[in-house]
Amino acid sequence: MWLPVLGLIIGVILGLFTEIKVSEEYANYLSIAVLAGLDTLFGGIRAQLQNIYDEKVFVSGFFFNIVLAASLAFLGVHLGVDLYLAAVFAFGVRLFQNIAVIRRILLTKWTSNKEKTEKN
Amino acid sequence: MKNVDKRKKNLSFTLIAIVIGFMIAIQFRTVKEPEVRDTRDTWQLRDDILKQNELQLKLIREVQSHEAKIAQYETELKHSKEQVLRDTLEELKEEAGLTEVTGYGIILSIEPVMEDLLIGKTVSNVSPDLLKRLVNELNMYEASHIAIDNQRLINTTVIRDINNETKIDGHSIKKLPFEIKVIAEDAKGAEKLYNRMQVSKSADEFFVDNLRVKVIKPEGKITIPAYQNAIRIRDMKPVDPEKGGNS
Repeated sequence: MWLPVLGLIIGVILGLFTEIKVSEEYANYLSIAVLAGLDTLFGGIRAQLQNIYDEKVFVSGFFFNIVLAASLAFLGVHLGVDLYLAAVFAFGVRLFQNIAVIRRILLTKWTSNKEKTEKN
Repeated sequence: MKNVDKRKKNLSFTLIAIVIGFMIAIQFRTVKEPEVRDTRDTWQLRDDILKQNELQLKLIREVQSHEAKIAQYETELKHSKEQVLRDTLEELKEEAGLTEVTGYGIILSIEPVMEDLLIGKTVSNVSPDLLKRLVNELNMYEASHIAIDNQRLINTTVIRDINNETKIDGHSIKKLPFEIKVIAEDAKGAEKLYNRMQVSKSADEFFVDNLRVKVIKPEGKITIPAYQNAIRIRDMKPVDPEKGGNS
């Protein structure tokens, strides 16, 4: 489980050390892509804990969500409506739900573990 | 089998985590631009405006002084000996015929008489004596600059016959008709010259040689080319300044 965390750290370091800067206009797209990525990541972790993890779903979900979110933002810019807020809202809600589910699963695991050790 | 699956799962998780981390970092860098806030109050702003105004004033003064200097240099140049010498040189060159001259004047076209051509007479060359006479007459009527067949006449120009060819300073007049361009002092002078040439005597002399002088008065200015050859002065020497005194 520690490998993905390491990957996240490596990615952050890589991003900080490379001198890439996105111009102001595309910052919106990137932020929404980051949100989509995070949503997928937490969804994956939840699925893993619930034992319903499917690699294909995870990987395709990651890319598809990012592209969908970015294109939604693009459409919003061209229509003059802040459509990216819809993506932000959807991903935000899902992020919270996923984290809540993960917390509950971890809590039940922890308590069951504790009970087991107490029984022993 | 399960182990392989788990490793594969971990790998994809890690890769996607790296990508997400990368994106977060870039987003962080993009958003977290060093924001410089203007926290000056009214008095500080006033002070700054004052400073900028002073700077502007200083710059304007500098520009003014530079412009004054340029003007000064120009006037100095105008009055300096060098400029006087330059001007004199230019004047002398113009007088000697080394520059192109444009001005009001007339054009004399020398052409063979057509009637004689029909009879079958061959038109010989224009004789140097006739040309000399014409030039003298033109000079008498205050012509300033003369060019025969685009060959500028200067003070030392010789018009002579070499092997039955009329030559003006080495330039031979072979074909007829040719033009003599004359520039007068001004438009009024040109008018005068034109009127005088209409009744000129040398035109009659030309007619004897089966040549006709046609006087044309152009509307605008005419241009006479500069003297092309080098002016050789054989029997003159510059004055020795030692002997002539240091005046």
